[in-house]
Amino acid sequence: MTLKSTSRKKAIHVMLCYTGGCNGCDIEVVNALLSPRYDLEQYGVMLTWNPREADVLIVSGVVSWQMLEPLKKIYSLIPEPKAVVAVGACACNGNVYKNLVGDIKVNEDVYAPVESVIPVDVKVPGCAPRPEEIIQGAVKGLPKLMGAP
Amino acid sequence: MTEANNEKMIEKELSFGPVHPALIEPYRIRLFVNDEIVEDCEININMAYRGMEKLFDGLPVEKALLIAERVCGICSHVHAWNAVRVIECGLGIEVPPRADYIRVLVQEFQRITSHLIFFGHAFEVVGHETLAMRALLLREQFMDLMQYVGGNRVMPSVPIIGGIRPRADLTDSLKKTILERCDAFEAKYAQYVQRILDDPLVISRVNGIGLLTKEDAIKYHATGPTGRASGWRYDLRTEMKEYKPFDFNVIVLDGCDTKDRVVDRALEVLESLKIIHQVVKNLPDGPVVNRNWVAKEMPFTTAYLETYRGEVMHTYGLDHQGLVRNYQIRTPTITNLAAMEHACVGDHVTEAILTIASCDPCLTCCTRTEVVDSGKRRTMTDYEIVRKYGWRK
Amino acid sequence: MDATILFLAQLIVSSVIALAIATLYSLVLPGIERKIQARIQQRVGPPILMPGFWSVIKFMYKARTEPIAQMPRFYKFLIGFGVGVVSLLFLFNTPYWWFMLGWGSILGIAGMLKLEEVIYVFMGSQSQSIMSTSMPVPDTVRGSKWPNIRREFNEQHSAERSLKMMLIGSLPLYLALLVPFIVAQSVNIGSVVVTQNPAYSPFNSWLSFSLPTSPILFTVPGFIAAIVYFLGFVVMLNEKPFTILKAKIDMIEGGVLEYAANLRAGYYLMRNLLMFALSSIFVTLFLGIPFDPFMPAMFLMNMVLSLMLPIALSVLVAFSPIFTFRQIYPTAIGLSALGVLAMILALSI
Ligand code: SF4
Repeated sequence: MTLKSTSRKKAIHVMLCYTGGCNGCDIEVVNALLSPRYDLEQYGVMLTWNPREADVLIVSGVVSWQMLEPLKKIYSLIPEPKAVVAVGACACNGNVYKNLVGDIKVNEDVYAPVESVIPVDVKVPGCAPRPEEIIQGAVKGLPKLMGAP
Repeated sequence: MTEANNEKMIEKELSFGPVHPALIEPYRIRLFVNDEIVEDCEININMAYRGMEKLFDGLPVEKALLIAERVCGICSHVHAWNAVRVIECGLGIEVPPRADYIRVLVQEFQRITSHLIFFGHAFEVVGHETLAMRALLLREQFMDLMQYVGGNRVMPSVPIIGGIRPRADLTDSLKKTILERCDAFEAKYAQYVQRILDDPLVISRVNGIGLLTKEDAIKYHATGPTGRASGWRYDLRTEMKEYKPFDFNVIVLDGCDTKDRVVDRALEVLESLKIIHQVVKNLPDGPVVNRNWVAKEMPFTTAYLETYRGEVMHTYGLDHQGLVRNYQIRTPTITNLAAMEHACVGDHVTEAILTIASCDPCLTCCTRTEVVDSGKRRTMTDYEIVRKYGWRK
Repeated sequence: MDATILFLAQLIVSSVIALAIATLYSLVLPGIERKIQARIQQRVGPPILMPGFWSVIKFMYKARTEPIAQMPRFYKFLIGFGVGVVSLLFLFNTPYWWFMLGWGSILGIAGMLKLEEVIYVFMGSQSQSIMSTSMPVPDTVRGSKWPNIRREFNEQHSAERSLKMMLIGSLPLYLALLVPFIVAQSVNIGSVVVTQNPAYSPFNSWLSFSLPTSPILFTVPGFIAAIVYFLGFVVMLNEKPFTILKAKIDMIEGGVLEYAANLRAGYYLMRNLLMFALSSIFVTLFLGIPFDPFMPAMFLMNMVLSLMLPIALSVLVAFSPIFTFRQIYPTAIGLSALGVLAMILALSI
């Protein structure tokens, strides 16, 4: 274990970018990160709102067309190495917004999955995923960060 | 007043969002400020637009309810419940009383979690992290209860047409758990509220800012706790037949400011606890779901429901195959935010954001299609088109 | 001649040792601060080393990125400048610098603090983060009431706020700083320490240590001044409740928004060192225990006692909301009045 990978393992800054799902995932993420019960900080994960500070971008929700550019831009501003965690069925496959539609077959209004917009490393499915699963997902992204040059 | 006097000089504009710690949800606030004082405000709310209404079109009605629940993650039960109320009204489906009781129960659970999320968010915006954390910690108890009843923390999916899902039925042991949790919660919660009210620093931050008079509240139709904190006694629960058996107070305060919007919600949680107690104590026996119905052509029907933020409206009709047509939703945030746009004028920048947050905005709910009415020309909504020309065949 | 060279050598060696110890130690402070806050909030909280030490190392290893700023090179230079200023601020407080004319005195400290405040104005006016105006969303609607208005970056607004804070917010700190010097009736830190701790001299043997006999903190004016100093310390660090210029809920982080990778590591170093420097100055001036890098007992004592302010800070942070200017003006004026009172009382000692 080098100092580099140790430091990357011990201090992770995550940023939440909520792009237009139903709000459930987003609240669960903030809940998992902030609330005393699931306190993510004890594992060395901090919530930040500044892409320049972040290592991991958590995206929740389908990407609406207005959020497309901001999402790409924010992703591009995060310095390497970076990882993206897609939280929730919306971000993983589009959920009901993309697929369960009657007359219009496939909903062209939203961009889903998030993978079609920016590269995604970890997917946490579930509608909404349990906080435990989100924590697990945040941890899963670690090897990529640690192994990066 | 001359023309020249009416024209305000504005120094600059500050814009926040859509990715921002104070907003979390995607919307954009543009504040027009002179130095620190907000002179005008504009809120752009269309960032979470998913074409919700269009998604419903042509779906079998049971499937549509799945989408209805996913309109919003904080008030998922409201949308699921109101969506079934529409068809129950329209086709005259009987709902067993036990089902109604449990629907009310989940509604009040979610009202409590929603109000506590509001505290979490509002105190995060005030900058008091400790109070925010306490609110989130208290909220977890009800998230648990929701999971016990509905099976999911966020999407309990309790109501179905004609009743509730049988798995959400209350057993005796669950009843006991609910009562125990509620009692434990009530004691802690009372302390928490007392702690907020006794804190001079917090109160000095929220007191006297974001004034919204009663006239304005009615003019902008700011419903829910936002309107009630401005002295407007308006609560649909008093008129709903589902709430007839229960005894509760409507909290109306007349401070008209941000502090009262916080306090109003704080007191409402206690009323919700009262209702929960009554539900669990008086829960009638009987079936929980009535499956004797067939989807058939239904004219437009509208149902209103008092949600945690105000008044929500769902409207749809069924065509001859029983498919959903022309769904429409109007959620409280759209009117509340407009009221807040008005209320935050004159505050400092930091306070203006607090004021906007104090109506508990829920942007995923409120991002809807709108009627463009510019005085001369008016774009017709689907609803009117169908009224005029009939179903698309 | 020899004496001068010896002195210079001592000065340089002591500075290097002092800075090394202080930097390493200061990286632990934010962890302690976060941990205490977390415990107050009934959660476990981050590991002690994480917010300071590991974060800084991690940011060092991140890929360098160009900040979006009006003048990127100037913006980057500000971090180096800030670290330099804070290091000097800390060094003025160590004994060998007391003999440098005018630097190891109230003037040196006040000057460096003022520079440190100015940095935030520059940072704010330079940074142009994506998080506010330049976010690529369609928001200029046709029906807007103010179509051609000047759109300002949040950081620029933050720079304006920091000007205001410089004017009024930091006044109490300077008033409180003056009190020990008034009691000692000198402008040199050396005499302030000797007044309280007569046995101490930088030329004592390296194992010796001397406890202060009459710390200013335990006199009435000293105590009032200490309280004012503490709140001034909070203002200087831009912590809650005086965090308006980088309030998370509107300015996000203010002028430092655009620092990434190694620059952000530099910013963390600067901020943490400032926190330690101010607490160490407090212990030196109000308790008479200087940070003497050649006397382990003295500097250890200084380091332990200087935990006082960060701990008090974290408790304050956990229990207070952000103040807006509505509350900051009266608070600052009240604190300044207290500071003046302390000065008058000090004159009568
Ligand atoms: S996955 Fe489910 S809970 Fe999450 S945003 Fe999408 S609909 Fe909401």
